[in-house]
Amino acid sequence: MNLAVVAEGVTRRFGRRWALRGVDLAVPRGAVVALLGANGTGKTTLLRVVSTLLRPTAGRVQVLGHALPAGEDEIRARAAFMTAGGHAYEELTGVENLRFAARMSGKTASDDDLRGALAAVDLGGAADVPVRAWSTGMRQRLELARLRLRPLELVLLDEPFVSLDEDGVGLVHEAVRGWREAGAAVVIASHRVDDATRHADEVVRLVGGRVAAGTA
Amino acid sequence: MSALARRAAAILWKDILSETRTRQGFTAMLSFAALVLFMFSFAIGVDNDLLGRLAGGLLWVAIVFTGTLSLGRTFQNEELAGGTRLLRLYPGDVRAIYLGKLAGNLVVLAALEVVLFPAAAILYGVDFAAQAGPLLLVAALGTFGFSVIGTFFSALTVHLRARELLLPLLLFPALVPVVLASVGATEAFLAGDPLGRATGWLRLLASYDVILFVVCVWIFPVVLEE
Repeated sequence: MNLAVVAEGVTRRFGRRWALRGVDLAVPRGAVVALLGANGTGKTTLLRVVSTLLRPTAGRVQVLGHALPAGEDEIRARAAFMTAGGHAYEELTGVENLRFAARMSGKTASDDDLRGALAAVDLGGAADVPVRAWSTGMRQRLELARLRLRPLELVLLDEPFVSLDEDGVGLVHEAVRGWREAGAAVVIASHRVDDATRHADEVVRLVGGRVAAGTA
Repeated sequence: MSALARRAAAILWKDILSETRTRQGFTAMLSFAALVLFMFSFAIGVDNDLLGRLAGGLLWVAIVFTGTLSLGRTFQNEELAGGTRLLRLYPGDVRAIYLGKLAGNLVVLAALEVVLFPAAAILYGVDFAAQAGPLLLVAALGTFGFSVIGTFFSALTVHLRARELLLPLLLFPALVPVVLASVGATEAFLAGDPLGRATGWLRLLASYDVILFVVCVWIFPVVLEE
């Protein structure tokens, strides 16, 4: 099987607290995996490890063919991590935030491309409004627009449905379908079981930093 | 332009755009700098000779104090935007983050000095214009050294609870050679450099700048690690 993510015995400790205790995870390319669990069970920590943001205390992680920490730069070019709080600059408009993201990703995006990405998540009317005037849901949609700027092979979504209205949730589902059809692997960490599992090929439940028996 | 330079330019563009939209930070810094210059002037009184002799030192103290305010804000806007470490998710050398932030601090401090030098000339009764070329070189080297190490420590302390206290505590000792050389060179040039000491101070300043820059650029990726 062609796997986008392979994690074996991944452990991560913050001071004296263990966030992950020997987690095993396999995410095939073109598959959607729902990562479920209560608060503090290690979902976000696991996504941060896979995204290359965080190094595990112990264990092995292979992402898109690279055994971490090798190939981090290559992974970042082919993968994306949508964090729960988003990543937007208050004083910049929607278009300017996307232009910054495109430039940082080494992509050249025209004004039309950027406005098109915003229109695709129903933010076309707010494209030239500074983000400080936006609602939390609009910021979450901006994150979705940011992910549309480049082709991806691995998409990590941390609580992607939070703060979104019904249409916004629909946009996330539509994006997940699109990524899967394009052959990308998608991992969704969420408390919203129905939404997280709607397209899931596999469900993994974390309990106390471990994968619960029978869910992987 | 290399990918590193393009990404550093993107960070500079974003920071300058944000700053020009709010102007709160720069206006507050300018007011603080003016206050510092005035306080020294009041403290020393009407002794114009003494003020003139101390002008170089007083000016650099004002630049360092005010610049420290700017440094404290360097990575704070990243934290408000979701976290400095999220910038690491973009592909490419993370040193671009440091270089972009360094360039932003240089621009802000240069803009500040454009106001501070004439203000100090009026308040302290010194003629900077007569030595404009050499003093411009001192200002450039001093500002660069200050920004290089300040940007680094700003990144190092951004996630600490007592960062407002720790930043100056870490920064000021490391700045001693930069401030000493900048003040020494400024005072020497203002006095007409009769003993030829200015060149020595400039050499020290330039050497320290180069060493600091290489070290900070080299180890910056470690600072962003979790």
